[in-house]
Amino acid sequence: MAQATRLSTVAQRRIQSELNEWMRSPPEGCCLESCEPMTSWVVIMQGPEGAGGVRLYSDEVFRVRIDFGEQYPLDPPDVIFLAPAPIHPHIYSNGHICLDILYSGRNGGWSPALTMSKVVLSLRSMLASNTDKRKPPGDAEYCARVGNRSPKLSNWVFEDDKV
Amino acid sequence: MSDDSEEFRSGSEDEEMSDYGASDADMDVEDDDDDYGFAGAEEVSTVPKVPYKVLPKEDLNKQREKALREVMDVLGIDEDTAMRVLRKYKWDSSRVQEEWFSKYDQVRESLGLVDEPGPSGRAACEAEERCFICFDSFPVRDMRSAACRHYFCKDCWRGYITQALSSGPACLDLRCPSTECKQKACVPCALVMELASGEEQSKYSTYMVRSFVEDNSSMCWCTGKNCENAIQCLVDRGPDEAMDVICSCSATFCFNCKEEAHRPVSCKTVKTWLTKNSAESENMNWILANTKPCPKCSRPIEKNQGCMHMTCSQCRFEFCWLCQGDWKEHGERTGGFYACNRFETAKKKGEYDDESRRRENAKASLERYMHYFERFDAHSKAREKARLDASKVSKDWLEQLADITKTPTSQLKFINEAWNQIVECRRMLKWTYAYGYYAFEDADRNSEVARHKGFFEFLQGDAERSLERLHEAAEKDLGAHVTKARNQADGGFDADAFQTFRKNLIGLTDVTAGFFDKLVKQLEKGFSSMEADYAGQVDDGAGPSGVNEGGEQAAGAAGGPAATGTTGHKGRRSKKARGVDEDVVLLGEQGFWTCNKCTYNNQDLTARRCEVCNEARAGPGGGAGNRR
Ligand SMILES: [Zn+2]
Ligand SMILES: [Zn+2]
Ligand SMILES: [Zn+2]
Ligand SMILES: [Zn+2]
Ligand SMILES: [Zn+2]
Ligand SMILES: [Zn+2]
Ligand SMILES: [Zn+2]
Repeated sequence: MAQATRLSTVAQRRIQSELNEWMRSPPEGCCLESCEPMTSWVVIMQGPEGAGGVRLYSDEVFRVRIDFGEQYPLDPPDVIFLAPAPIHPHIYSNGHICLDILYSGRNGGWSPALTMSKVVLSLRSMLASNTDKRKPPGDAEYCARVGNRSPKLSNWVFEDDKV
Repeated sequence: MSDDSEEFRSGSEDEEMSDYGASDADMDVEDDDDDYGFAGAEEVSTVPKVPYKVLPKEDLNKQREKALREVMDVLGIDEDTAMRVLRKYKWDSSRVQEEWFSKYDQVRESLGLVDEPGPSGRAACEAEERCFICFDSFPVRDMRSAACRHYFCKDCWRGYITQALSSGPACLDLRCPSTECKQKACVPCALVMELASGEEQSKYSTYMVRSFVEDNSSMCWCTGKNCENAIQCLVDRGPDEAMDVICSCSATFCFNCKEEAHRPVSCKTVKTWLTKNSAESENMNWILANTKPCPKCSRPIEKNQGCMHMTCSQCRFEFCWLCQGDWKEHGERTGGFYACNRFETAKKKGEYDDESRRRENAKASLERYMHYFERFDAHSKAREKARLDASKVSKDWLEQLADITKTPTSQLKFINEAWNQIVECRRMLKWTYAYGYYAFEDADRNSEVARHKGFFEFLQGDAERSLERLHEAAEKDLGAHVTKARNQADGGFDADAFQTFRKNLIGLTDVTAGFFDKLVKQLEKGFSSMEADYAGQVDDGAGPSGVNEGGEQAAGAAGGPAATGTTGHKGRRSKKARGVDEDVVLLGEQGFWTCNKCTYNNQDLTARRCEVCNEARAGPGGGAGNRR
């Protein structure tokens, strides 16, 4: 569990607003398991049904951890799947997710206008659109190399928009 | 100006004409042809076609504004838009125009250019909207948006802009942060400037200026320390084509790969070589760590670089690294420094086990590398020293000399020229060792490659020897003259001796330039057509058979340079140890003869005197003109 982070006023108010909004209308297939402290959420995600009724993940339940940083929402939070992570070509066994909107910087797609609601929906649709349930190439090597450090420290290349 | 100096000057020119057979005008013409990589170094005077231009800050800004203005006028767009489209097409304004007019919508879409909507009514300005970053509501007039009308509060914009600016030049292409923004509207420069701090504003402007150089394929920054000049390439360069440039700050580097200038070697060779050097430095350490025990006292011995000759630091026993035998039993009979016949023989008899053979192979390849690296490194260091000396000479010595000899400094330019030549030649020479390492790897297995290698080493050897003579003259002779002049400052200056020195130095500079020109041109051309190039001259009767009449080189003549690969001098020979006979053989084959006095390679095989120094030709070809 991440240690409580001191937040800027903007971040505090923004996270509070997002929480309120979430409570009012939670994203489909997701519920909050914990938001204590406010800087670290755990989301329970029901595996989605794929297109045309494909049931790759629909019998599984995943947990996503979201750790907000001081600079949120200018900086994206750390978002990872807790073990056991879904088997997916863009999700590593240590929970790291290769999805552009989770990262800022040169080829990242993070925007401060993205909410956690939208983020978890993107994660779910990433699972829903997958047709090939396999681990990413080099999964073991990657996990051994990066261990538990933040996924934001990895150098991501986002190439496959479809999955 | 005193009479003395007048006399000094006119005298010198007359002598130069007669002795070197070339007037200043002739030499200028040659310079034009010679087109060295460092041609840009000379102050425009002698070299008409420099393929690049040094742009100081002011010129750079002018050029940038001109490029912007042109696109703004032709496309009828504002500066902000012009900047974006120029950046997209790497500041190639003709491409910009082409793309803009043929794919107007596509280009605009890719840049996030959105049509400005009409002014929003007063009512809309009074209305409140929610900022989708901080989730607070504000009156719209206190909010800002790009052309897409996705409003955010000023504080959130500030945070967004600050963060973008801290992430580098990509901030020039900042887009609307809204997740609903389908067009991904660009954030106008004016909005950035309105909300950024003073410091950030200047950072943004700097990125815009830098874009003109960094996003521009015909521009690069000078790599010199603290130099703010840019270099503009004025010619079409092929992809990955090397181009040596020299900045007005005196930094020299390759426009393409930004490494130190490296003509005549390709960028690829330079990169591989430099990578190898850094990789090998570990490897060499490993080898050095794996020392052999002294055969006498068993103290672990580190190997001396290059040479097989080992000396134990404890008992002073001198032995051979390969066979561990006493060095006294070694020498010419065992094949010289780099080959130990005792070891070769023992290997044949099977006295060495697999382990030592494998170690031997690994070592041989390391030895080969070290041979080239040592020389690369030595010339590299010699160049650095020469650079320092050159600036010392032009700063301190020239004025003193001018004073003592009562000569205007412009008349002492030949000294600067000699030093510039030395610095540049050291640089070229060092890169030829990187070239040699890669180009002739197969010399032991392929006789054609061996022949090319022989010719390469011949050209390289000529260049190197000539440069050593020039360097020595510029260093020692000049030093002696300055010292002497200082001591005899009160009228005892030996004008004649200085005159001789001047003539000599000019001649050596010229001759060295000639050798290097030849070497550089041959390397750039490659050796594949070498046989064909020289075949004509051999057929003319100037080849080995003609040389034979001299009688001195009958043994090696038949094979020409190829023979050098099979004479038993296997592996790397020390250049100094190379037999004279080989040189003469190569000479005949290549169709020129080397002057004994100034070392110039004369092309005219029938000439009786050296084209450069007029020295009578010695040796087999001399006098009788018996080559034909
Ligand atoms: Zn805001
Ligand atoms: Zn927008
Ligand atoms: Zn410079
Ligand atoms: Zn280069
Ligand atoms: Zn010893
Ligand atoms: Zn030996
Ligand atoms: Zn000569």
